[in-house]
Amino acid sequence: MVPDAAIAKLKERFSGLQLMEPAPVKGHLSVKLSGPSKLIGVIKMLKDELGYEFLDFITAVDWKGPVDLKGYIVNPNPNPFMPEGVRSQMISEPPTPGFPYREAIEVIYALSNWAAKSRIFVRVETTRGDPRVPSLIFLWKGADWQEREIFDLLGVVFEGHPNLKKILTPDFIKGHPLRKDYVHIKDKYD
Amino acid sequence: MTDLKTDTMFVNMGPQHPSTHGVLRLGLTLSGEIIVKAEPDIGYLHRGTEKLAELRGYHQCVVMTDRWDYVSAMPNNLVFCLAAEKLMNLEISSRANYLRVLMCEINRIASHLLFLGTYGIDIGAYTPFLYAFREREMVLDLFEMACGARTTFNYIRIGGVSADLPQGWTEKCREFLNYFKGKIREYDDLLTYNPIFLDRTKTVGILSKETALDWGLTGPNLRGSGVPYDVRKTDPYCVYDKLDFDVCVGETGSCWDRYHVRVLEMTQSIRIVEQCLGQLPAGDVMAKGVAKIPKPPAGEAYAHVEASRGDLGIYLVADGSSAPYRLHARAPSYINLAVLQEILTGLKLADVIAILGSTDIVLGEVDR
Amino acid sequence: MAEAAPAAPAKPAFDPKAACPDIRRRLWASKTKGTLLEGRLWPSDLWPHPWISESYRRGAFVLGAIAIGAIALAVGLGEIGAPLAALHEFYRQWAQARLPEAPAWSVEAVWILVKAIVVLHIILINGLFLVWWERKISAHIQSRLGPIFVGGWHGWLQTVADGLKLLIKEDAAPAQKDSWLYRIAPALAFAPVLLCFAPVPFGRDLEAANIDVGIVYVFACSGVSVLGIVLAGWASANKYSLLGGLRSAAQLVSYELPRAFSIVPMVALAGSLSLTKIVQAQEGYWMGFFPKWFFFYPIVGQISFVIFLIASVAETNRTPFDIPEAESELVAGFHTEYSGMKFALFFLTEYAYVFLAAALIATFFFGGGAAPTPLLSVIPSWFWFLSKTLFFVFCFLWFRWTFPRFRIDRLMDFTWKFLLPWSFVNIIFSIPYIFL
Repeated sequence: MVPDAAIAKLKERFSGLQLMEPAPVKGHLSVKLSGPSKLIGVIKMLKDELGYEFLDFITAVDWKGPVDLKGYIVNPNPNPFMPEGVRSQMISEPPTPGFPYREAIEVIYALSNWAAKSRIFVRVETTRGDPRVPSLIFLWKGADWQEREIFDLLGVVFEGHPNLKKILTPDFIKGHPLRKDYVHIKDKYD
Repeated sequence: MTDLKTDTMFVNMGPQHPSTHGVLRLGLTLSGEIIVKAEPDIGYLHRGTEKLAELRGYHQCVVMTDRWDYVSAMPNNLVFCLAAEKLMNLEISSRANYLRVLMCEINRIASHLLFLGTYGIDIGAYTPFLYAFREREMVLDLFEMACGARTTFNYIRIGGVSADLPQGWTEKCREFLNYFKGKIREYDDLLTYNPIFLDRTKTVGILSKETALDWGLTGPNLRGSGVPYDVRKTDPYCVYDKLDFDVCVGETGSCWDRYHVRVLEMTQSIRIVEQCLGQLPAGDVMAKGVAKIPKPPAGEAYAHVEASRGDLGIYLVADGSSAPYRLHARAPSYINLAVLQEILTGLKLADVIAILGSTDIVLGEVDR
Repeated sequence: MAEAAPAAPAKPAFDPKAACPDIRRRLWASKTKGTLLEGRLWPSDLWPHPWISESYRRGAFVLGAIAIGAIALAVGLGEIGAPLAALHEFYRQWAQARLPEAPAWSVEAVWILVKAIVVLHIILINGLFLVWWERKISAHIQSRLGPIFVGGWHGWLQTVADGLKLLIKEDAAPAQKDSWLYRIAPALAFAPVLLCFAPVPFGRDLEAANIDVGIVYVFACSGVSVLGIVLAGWASANKYSLLGGLRSAAQLVSYELPRAFSIVPMVALAGSLSLTKIVQAQEGYWMGFFPKWFFFYPIVGQISFVIFLIASVAETNRTPFDIPEAESELVAGFHTEYSGMKFALFFLTEYAYVFLAAALIATFFFGGGAAPTPLLSVIPSWFWFLSKTLFFVFCFLWFRWTFPRFRIDRLMDFTWKFLLPWSFVNIIFSIPYIFL
């Protein structure tokens, strides 16, 4: 099996690499890096040596959890866009107790190996205060806009990106909307 | 002539321009008619659906997926439901699976018809647009009969589909397919093999395999460059592994190849729909015991389908509450559009329209 | 229980529940009055056999009736060239009798003014008619109906209503415009086309002015319109307009050449530059039945015709050569910033040029007002001329709604590398005819 061999090779070369078992994304491999410093090396090896040549997507998750979580759920899904005095459409069920909320943003890279029909999720965590990961734009040009999107929506800075600026939200929007503690400031369109 | 002072001109193409297919803005720096620099600018239709999904239940998210690629909304519904069902470990009945494939494929026909018509307009031929919409109207009628909606369906639900087919629907669908087969030849006569059309598209906007893969293109844009990547074949979902169809590829990756791949895909979709109609089993269309407000256990899931515009993927994180913790959509239009900044340089203004049209983006999906 | 049974209605009300047991069918049925799928006329039911439709048969019958009625009317009216000449003579004698001291040139000037006004109205009415006709033709080519309400019968008043709308519309103009040029451009585009119609022989003895260098005159005048278009593009202070204007200048100047050279053989065969003489040269029939039209001169006639037709389509800025106003690229090209009556003038110019081009084709290649066979000579020449012209106008419309658009560089290649060389070759081909 190519995937198993690939993981073995990766583990051999990069010490901080950890295969996540059971896989968080069902049916796909997931590896977790200890820090952003080794990211380029791992991805390069996956691309050049192990056949994961296609960049499926890049995304990121803010693991802070619902913001007004102060020991108990008040409103797990606060809607920042809702006018004052209006009740939320749906009061959510509380999440599973013990869900690993943490002060971190996780950047996730999904790479595909079409020949082996395998997809691998490379996950790397950064801090919420100053999230920085290296840019992959010199490996795949397709990373360009995806990294800009994550920069725009979650505030992750991709070091080495030549044109890292907002792409989806308008210029007057301050902050990064997909962060869990995003507070919407009323503007002229509200 | 050496004293002649020339300067470049910045032209703001869009967001209100007849052929930017919605609200795309292209900042073009022109030297005469030649493009020196092209900068796509998006975000005019950004509705923040990924954030909105975090505030709504799973069943409500299906409605929002309709609004991404509003031209072919069925695959959007499908991919979200597949991801949610992976989280919930739901078994879908065979009939529901067939109906999902059936609807996605006739939606692909509708979507490619819209592309064909608008691409004709981009190149300057108006009549194919009306012809394509004439046929698309019938597909929309079929949708209206099946689910009551014509473009934004919310038909595919978590656990199955919202309703079974009405009586007489399959006959009407077969009638449409038989009628539509002859129409593809009409498009070939009118547009596909028109010498002016060939002249405008055959040598323009050539995307090599390497460029296409480098930019992460998928769907007909990638297949137009000759890469036979189709999620329906490489990673079959629903019942595609039981169906017989070909993956259509182009040769050079020109605008015409991307266009022609879509025309060929319509014939393949006809084949798939015919097989689905033939094999359609009896049974329920909704899985038993799906809660009104689904509450999947904590976990993550990734599902992807071959939507009309490429590999549409959903990455879903659940924290055990009744709303997704994080939803990321791998929108094919968004990724396909980025390639424009590379291939437009050095071409003529008229080619911008030809290339932009041939990538077949839907701004609802680009901006989400 | 004194509940009176309701009187049974003569026609039972539609009960969706009974008609459609299925709930989904029922919902649909209540919306469409009892038809789910069966009663809904799908296009597929109709298109393979249009003659099964009663309205289709009726339409064909009405069209035939209109054609026959028009021919009957024309035969009844007869030639109008000679009566008009008689009217001119009568007017001159009347003027001399009433105003003996008026100089002859002033009497003639009034007559010329009347002729100019008549030609102007031909252009205006032609514009009104062609816009409506184009909309109907495009609609039927595209399986639509087109204008159908205004005026009652097939929307025949639609363009009149649109014209009124354009007249009373706010004349919005960009703030950055070059004011003087912006205003003069539509007039500069429109005025030459009025002049162009002077030497066109609408029938036997039916030209406003018999100019000896008619062809040169027509091409010279129509060349001035380019100036109006370029000025419009420049003065609008809009980048799309500017691009449209420049494209237009390049295209029109280039296509003038093959257009003019393609008719050199015709001029040589007729031995005159006068349009009337060219028509006269095509009178008569070979072997008593085959018309001596220039189009039927082997090789030369056909090549000339094709080159002239293509160049004419390009000269009138119509698809597949409509790059100056390419809608998908340049929004509306040189007239993007024009509205109201100024826009209407550009519009009118375009249709007048289409009519002129078709009239020239009929004159140069199809014998003007000559009947195709001696038998049909009962139908007057002006009717033949009009029919031929409208047929070629129809061809222009037909091209527009069928073809895609060229790209500017391919368009230039086409004229300089293909049309122009072939028009020269054609002149060489015509040598044997001249010396025969």
